[in-house]
Amino acid sequence: MRLDAFWRRLRAAVAAMSAGARAAAATLLPAVMLAACQAPMDQERATPQTAPPGATAAGATAANALPRNPDGRPKLDGIWQALAAANWDIRPHAASHSPVPELGAIGAAAPGLGIVEGGEIPYQPWAAERQKENFADRLELDPEGNCFLPGVPRATYMPYPFQILATPAHVMIAYQYAGAVRTIHMSDPGPAPANFWMGWSVGRWEGDTFVVEVTDQNDQTWFDRAGNHHSDALRVVERYRLTGPDHMLYEATIEDPNVFTRPWTIRLPLYRRLEENVALMEFKCVEFAEEKMYGHLRKPGTGSAANE
Amino acid sequence: MHLRVKESIGPGRASRAHGLVALAGAVLVQTAAAQVPGAEDYEVPRTAFGQPDLQGTWSNAVLTPLERPPELADKAFLTEEEALEYQRRRREETDMDRRAENAAEDIFDAYNDFWWDWGENIAATRRTSLVIDPPDGRIPALTPAAQARADARAQYRQMHPADGPEDRNLSDRCINWPSAGPPMLPTAYNNNFQIAQNEEYVMIVNEMIHDARIVPLDGRPRGGVRQWLGDSRGRWDGDTLVVETRNFTDRTNFRGATQDMQLTERFTRVSDDILLYEFTVDDPEAFTSPWTVQIPARRTDELMYEYACHEGNQSMFGILGGARAAERAAAGAQE
Repeated sequence: MRLDAFWRRLRAAVAAMSAGARAAAATLLPAVMLAACQAPMDQERATPQTAPPGATAAGATAANALPRNPDGRPKLDGIWQALAAANWDIRPHAASHSPVPELGAIGAAAPGLGIVEGGEIPYQPWAAERQKENFADRLELDPEGNCFLPGVPRATYMPYPFQILATPAHVMIAYQYAGAVRTIHMSDPGPAPANFWMGWSVGRWEGDTFVVEVTDQNDQTWFDRAGNHHSDALRVVERYRLTGPDHMLYEATIEDPNVFTRPWTIRLPLYRRLEENVALMEFKCVEFAEEKMYGHLRKPGTGSAANE
Repeated sequence: MHLRVKESIGPGRASRAHGLVALAGAVLVQTAAAQVPGAEDYEVPRTAFGQPDLQGTWSNAVLTPLERPPELADKAFLTEEEALEYQRRRREETDMDRRAENAAEDIFDAYNDFWWDWGENIAATRRTSLVIDPPDGRIPALTPAAQARADARAQYRQMHPADGPEDRNLSDRCINWPSAGPPMLPTAYNNNFQIAQNEEYVMIVNEMIHDARIVPLDGRPRGGVRQWLGDSRGRWDGDTLVVETRNFTDRTNFRGATQDMQLTERFTRVSDDILLYEFTVDDPEAFTSPWTVQIPARRTDELMYEYACHEGNQSMFGILGGARAAERAAAGAQE
């Protein structure tokens, strides 16, 4: 058994114990280590036990209190959502007018402290100008308005939940927005054959942190409704780390030498959705974008406007 | 975009396909009630949670027609020789590099197996239709009320083929496809689906339109919210995953079904390479009897790629723009 695998199983074995058993085990450490060596198969088949939120007493570390899957990895599975208002603008921003005056305060941008480390995006000069143009024409240009797939990392902090389902071969992330879905390959799938709206994702564990390298995105997606943008050279390294049973820290390092002067980082907490029977619901937004996209091609005198 | 077309006609798949036909022949001598491929003593692999492991990418591509052709009215199964002949004929029909005099027809005919992915084989069961119940292999007749609704819709479509995007079918609009469902049916391309499982959920990701259907296994009650794809609940019946879906919308319209369609799907892994997919449609408002389809989905090791249907939907601009151009031309001719 490799040493890292041993420690993983040991952690899992400890996490699966009750707090009392864990305290007792501290005095019986050699026995616990022996069990971790001898019973890996049983451990992998065992029903995972979610440690109660308060179970950090009796000598257990916070890491041991995290819910874990049978392979000992932190259990990221569940329905999560961001609350940072970052979809309006990932930079620090005050509340502001809606681009559609008719919507009144309903369409106003919610304020946010920003999720960009240091607050500023290190744009090259031309790219900073492009962002301003994008913002000015955001009603027309924001891919969200067309119900287009959001790309990574924007999918993470849109105002909709997403669900993680982790398996040994793939970690799946399904997003409520537009039914977007990602397959994160846990073994190298080889080079991407094309660019994709949601990119090409390869995952690995660094200790208890789930790390995903996202490459081969197209240049059509934005970071937010403020027109922050990238090229198809974008490379995103995401880090998902449970900080408690119902909280996760999400970090993403953004690299794109065509657009930025240096790599930069976003960081925000994600919250587990705890409503009873919570589920991703259907947000097939194509039909909400059809008038915007195709309205100019309607037969004159027909359509929803004509019916009112 | 559809990226797996070239590989699909490679020799590797063909040789494996012949193996499956031979397998089907070997097991068809079993009981008539269980005419499915796979060894009787096949032990379904388990996930780390001890549940049957259905995970992987599966293809519903199959040459067998949904309904039994009239010329085979009394024949539920093909012999091995008939199956090979049928496959050969269907392959020839779809894969010919045909040319036509008329430019529009020529373009249409240019769609050969580079584009189409109907598969290379009939169902491994050698059935003559995917519909296995009623026994005649045909979808039961619509009720008079459902027929009247279907006629009214057809009449409306004839009068208003493309006034606006809502007049087009759900596939044109990239809202749903028959291959995505539920229920899932083979269609011209993107017939793959990927299953991922944890202890509490089964996720079924369709290649077509990239819908991820997330099926809870905890027996939770249903809400009252209707959705295009309904509201799925799953449970294990032995080694079979049973998914029951309700709460469709009145616009989902699966082959004339109403929003109250009760859909029951069954997923059974009968061998390492075949996931038997069955579904029953029960909707007395729409159909004169329930009906059941069986598709032996084949495992594929090919990767499933993003199909950004709506994002690349230039057709809608073409369809609506073409309809307006035709109207302008007609108006000009009248003046």
